[in-house]
Amino acid sequence: MIDVYIGLLVLWPVAAGLASLGQRSPATRAALVMATAAVLAAAAVGLATQAPLTASPAFLASATALHVAQAAAFLFPAFFLFQGLKEKHALVIVFALMQLALAAFGEFGLAAPAAVQTAVAVDGLALALVLVVSLVGSLICIFALPYMKHHEEHLHLQTSRQPQFFMILLAFLGFMNGLALSNDLHVFSAFYEATTLCSFLLIGHDQTAEAKQSGLRALWMNSMGGVFLHAGILLIQKQHGLADIQALVNPALWSGMSLLPLALLAVAGCVKAAQLPFQAWLLGAMVAPTPVSALLHSSTMVKVGVFLCLRLAPVFEGTTTGRILTLAGAMTFLGASALALGQSNAKKILAYSTAANLGLIIACAGLGTPLAIAAGTVLLVIHAATKGLLFLCVGDMEQAIGSRDLEDLRAVIAKTPVTALAAVAGSMAMILPPLGMLVGKWAVLEAAAASPVPVVVIAMVMMAVGSALGVVCWVRFSGTLMSGVAVGPQPAHTSPLSTGLTTGPILTLLAGAVGLGMAAPWLNALLLGQGNPLAGGWGLLPPLFIVAMLGWIIGLKVLGRQSQARLATPYLGGLPQAQPGSYVGPLGRNWTLSEGNEYATEFFGEPKLTRLAGIVALALLLALVGGALL
Amino acid sequence: MNLNTFSLALAGLVLAPLLGGVVAGVDRVVTARLQSRLGPPLLQPFYDVGKLWSKVIAPASHWQGLFVRWALAASLASDVLLAAGGDVLMCFFVQAASASFVALGAFCGSSPYSKLGAQRELFQLLAYEPVFMVAILCLAKAAGGFDALSIMAAQGPLLFKLPLLVPGLVFVVLVKLRKSPFDIAASHHMHQEVVRGVYTDYAGRDFALLEIAHWADVTVVLWICSFLWATGPVQMLVTGLVFLFAAVVIDNISARLTWRTMLGRVAPITLILATANLVWLYLE
Repeated sequence: MIDVYIGLLVLWPVAAGLASLGQRSPATRAALVMATAAVLAAAAVGLATQAPLTASPAFLASATALHVAQAAAFLFPAFFLFQGLKEKHALVIVFALMQLALAAFGEFGLAAPAAVQTAVAVDGLALALVLVVSLVGSLICIFALPYMKHHEEHLHLQTSRQPQFFMILLAFLGFMNGLALSNDLHVFSAFYEATTLCSFLLIGHDQTAEAKQSGLRALWMNSMGGVFLHAGILLIQKQHGLADIQALVNPALWSGMSLLPLALLAVAGCVKAAQLPFQAWLLGAMVAPTPVSALLHSSTMVKVGVFLCLRLAPVFEGTTTGRILTLAGAMTFLGASALALGQSNAKKILAYSTAANLGLIIACAGLGTPLAIAAGTVLLVIHAATKGLLFLCVGDMEQAIGSRDLEDLRAVIAKTPVTALAAVAGSMAMILPPLGMLVGKWAVLEAAAASPVPVVVIAMVMMAVGSALGVVCWVRFSGTLMSGVAVGPQPAHTSPLSTGLTTGPILTLLAGAVGLGMAAPWLNALLLGQGNPLAGGWGLLPPLFIVAMLGWIIGLKVLGRQSQARLATPYLGGLPQAQPGSYVGPLGRNWTLSEGNEYATEFFGEPKLTRLAGIVALALLLALVGGALL
Repeated sequence: MNLNTFSLALAGLVLAPLLGGVVAGVDRVVTARLQSRLGPPLLQPFYDVGKLWSKVIAPASHWQGLFVRWALAASLASDVLLAAGGDVLMCFFVQAASASFVALGAFCGSSPYSKLGAQRELFQLLAYEPVFMVAILCLAKAAGGFDALSIMAAQGPLLFKLPLLVPGLVFVVLVKLRKSPFDIAASHHMHQEVVRGVYTDYAGRDFALLEIAHWADVTVVLWICSFLWATGPVQMLVTGLVFLFAAVVIDNISARLTWRTMLGRVAPITLILATANLVWLYLE
């Protein structure tokens, strides 16, 4: 049965993707996507009931499968090389060639590693990623059905390109599941390259000049990550003759040895997780249709990076390499949070916030204690649901008003109340106690405080500042969506574009984000394998839930009463005027009122801050590799 | 949860906001004396809230009543957490949630002054939150635990281990008490340039509840400051009063700064001092 679950999780989406390639009928496509969502959800839950477990299903363990993985080490870089030559992109060519050289060296220059114990190992972390991919990822694919229809109507395409689009989208989920489950480094790296390929194709999907450029940027950066990954894997193979991930993450194996291979893998993780200074590919990804960015940000691509780092984390505990990784993660948390604050582009805010939160997870991985790893895994799961929700909301509002700028989204609550309120709830889930993101942050801080080293203090201070930046960013975001209107007509309620296929995923993700956020103590206890979920400070959370519930009930009651009330005349320091957008102010003159947020660009301006934070982050990553080298 | 914790929590729920109201009264009396005025009676803040409670005024937004109550719930929860000897860091986060709700309610208002105030409120949050959080990390490190009980049970006054926290905590108190030079988001008098900033659109009963939430916040902040000398209840009370008096004096001798100065100068300097203190604790 376990083999069937695993087979469905990995192979079904790929097969469904291939099947959708031949389908030009939207109804069949929708049926395929829905069926995939149902199959993935069922298989993931089925697997969860059996975890923790090990298995060796034939399609991942047989000699043929390993040959395919070996061939993939050549085929993916060869395809990247072809793309690089076609687009005359030097960096893509260089990194593809390096990957090919490493693959050749691994194939012909090194002895084959010992066979892995089991092809699949499912622990809490792997299961977390599988659930995220299968549930959140599937919901995003469903949201994509109406979105892409509208998107293509907007672009006036002659022939629909949705078959290709959904093929990649669905196959992506299968590759992600394969990556989460595989216990063989070579199979893992094949899936890793497959996700690079998928993201390249999806980002470039619209085929505009900007989309192509962003796609190539994602390709060269992630192939660079691939170079680090392959170099790390080959070094491990050389030092230990191993490819078994479970065997590798044993601190005893590494005692007294250089952690260079693991540092290289961690850098590969940082590239995938769009950590500073590699955030550019993720920012570029927002040119793609919203479901793509939602998928890349929440449940797929970037989660590969943090998954890899968390996987290696037990070895990092108490090591210099781990501490530098914590600093690097905290630096991204700080830098990307500050960058998010200076943005008015809603999707850029989301993108920087993604990089920031992943930085926090990577900081957890660097700390490497069981508490920190559990906190990081909880953050991974809850971030996926919350960020997926926020992306879908912004995408829906963008289609409704034709802009993704926060200033244009001002008071959008009057136009698209359901989506706007879901976005507000999502933003609150990012920052408010007792929900999971905040609780995760709190757990990381307390886990870090237990570390005896002053270096970690700097990381803690960075987390403190980053946390405040995040609160400000999300409160301002939701406040702007809910903003009241002083002069001029109240914005009219536009007829909703949203169908059940749009609001369905949004509301499900909303329930998931809030529900998971509330389940954080229990998730944490499950991951730590401890009986009492409310041990230590966690016991505070149930009383806080009760307070939150009471507040919720009282608040809604008052809302019900006030929503009937006639509103006061806006206070303007003048009289409202018949002309929209103006009022009679001092000197009896007619003044035009315009409102806008303060983005404080002298502090959080993108060009300067990107350079500064990028240099510091790069120095930390160099120190990570250099320190391990010495 | 045992009975003792429960009664402490209940006491925190009832007494903390009352204490905050008395603090507001003391503040007004002392300020008046500093300015050679007679000033209002000590209980004037309570009369004010009573009068606000009796007013029925049309709200500026349908959402404000909701956010006010959430802010009040969060502020009271942070009091209760502290009174029951809970985790101080979580107490801090809960209080930050209250501040977020106040700003959100102001964003929902219709007056541009309200929204301007909300923006400034957020910049204030950005300025004081990091240093306050680092101060709590310092207290926890020096006392050996994050819960209020172990911080209050620390051997001897923590002040001598944490001298560099004082500027940061004074800054936090000034901001949270909405005192000059950091009364940036909400001025005390509505003839000033932001009118009443973040409070502009709150009125009547909602505003009365917000005032109570503010009292609860003030108690939490002064209470955390008093951890610097927590060798006994009297010492803690005196420490809290010293911080309050310092804030009142500074309020009376300084003029409002801009948010740029606060964010660009004051916040980094106090944060660096607190960080230095934290590093020092870890090096010891």
